[in-house]
Amino acid sequence: MSALRAFSSPLRTLLRPCIAARPALPVVGVRHLGIPPLIAQPPGGIVGTVNDAVAVPAPHKTHGSYHWSFERLLAIGLVPLTVAPLVSATALSPALDSILVSSLLVHSYFGFQSCIIDYVPLREFGKVHHACMYLLLGGTVVAGYGFYKLETEDVGLTGTIAKVWTA
Amino acid sequence: MNSYRTTLRRVTRSLQITARGLATAAAEPVQAAKAPRMKQFQIYRWSPDDPTSKPRMQTYNVDLNACGPMMLDALLKIKNEQDSTLTLRRSCREGICGSCAMNINGTNTLACLCRINTDTAQTTKVYPLPHMFVVKDLVPDLTQFYKQYKSIKPFLQRSEYPADGKETLQSIEDRKKLDGLYECILCACCSTSCPSYWWNQSEYLGPAILLQTYRWLADSRDHATEERKLALQNSMSLYRCHTIMNCSKTCPKGLNPGLAIARIKKSMAL
Repeated sequence: MSALRAFSSPLRTLLRPCIAARPALPVVGVRHLGIPPLIAQPPGGIVGTVNDAVAVPAPHKTHGSYHWSFERLLAIGLVPLTVAPLVSATALSPALDSILVSSLLVHSYFGFQSCIIDYVPLREFGKVHHACMYLLLGGTVVAGYGFYKLETEDVGLTGTIAKVWTA
Repeated sequence: MNSYRTTLRRVTRSLQITARGLATAAAEPVQAAKAPRMKQFQIYRWSPDDPTSKPRMQTYNVDLNACGPMMLDALLKIKNEQDSTLTLRRSCREGICGSCAMNINGTNTLACLCRINTDTAQTTKVYPLPHMFVVKDLVPDLTQFYKQYKSIKPFLQRSEYPADGKETLQSIEDRKKLDGLYECILCACCSTSCPSYWWNQSEYLGPAILLQTYRWLADSRDHATEERKLALQNSMSLYRCHTIMNCSKTCPKGLNPGLAIARIKKSMAL
């Protein structure tokens, strides 16, 4: 019996599956903003054996370099648009004001989108991630409608700020 | 006769060396006669043999007069003389292997390149690399890090090789583009200092791996530039970098992963 045990021990070591190939432990991953993830993650995010490379994600048409370039161009464009009404005595023309408002909206949309990707990641939150994205989109559309009213029926964003500033 | 002399000379020299070694050993008690400079070290301890007990900080006192100048010297002195169960990775003791990467007084660095703060009034705290799974004590699990390194295919990819069967040549200017990139020893100090890597470790490649990606993108001999860039065309692999720049601040080799990432982004823009 002891001989059998002595034999089985190295055999078991040989046959023992790799640590990462074991069924995922009931470990929950990173807590984001104190909220545990809804989808349990493998320990250390390790998928497959230790010798497999991490899977390369499929290229995304809009979420790669185009997204980044657009984001940066928008941010650069916002600089003169924000500075102009501050240095000039009058409010921006309605056309320029509309461009400023829409750029601001898209700029903040991208900013919050980044926050959602960081803190409510798809792999851990699944549907909640998508819900957050739709909520952000809805909020942006509502804010856009508000700004549309402000631009067409009132004095626009810079005009409003000037009014509040002098009030 | 001649060989006998050579042997004699060798023996004499080795005796001298031994004597020198002894002199150093004999000098130690003289040094210890000075007032001992006891420095307190608090070191993170956790053992997989007792997985239910929480990690704890263990305090060790080391006399700096009898210890080398670097943090690794202190840690090895503790391991040799006080507590042999203290576990850490180390190999080259000169900052070229990247094994002894750990968090010392809140900064990720190599223990062998980090001087001990000689102010004995202050306690030095040592933790494993932050936000990594811990194997034991100061040993983090770098499996995912290495799997990510493998995913970028860190080797020269060419569609054709020189017809004469000789090496692929590179101009001096092209070689210079690799300076500041090839020196990376993959110690993971930068990646584990990056908050974005903490949050999305399983998908974001992190500064160290992106520096290596740029090392192959910048190589004039490599032909797989487009495939390498295509692998980064998604929201997670590269664009989780928010230029926090902890990576460049912490690199114990003085490299600039933040700049390398910025160059990848620039080369991929529009």
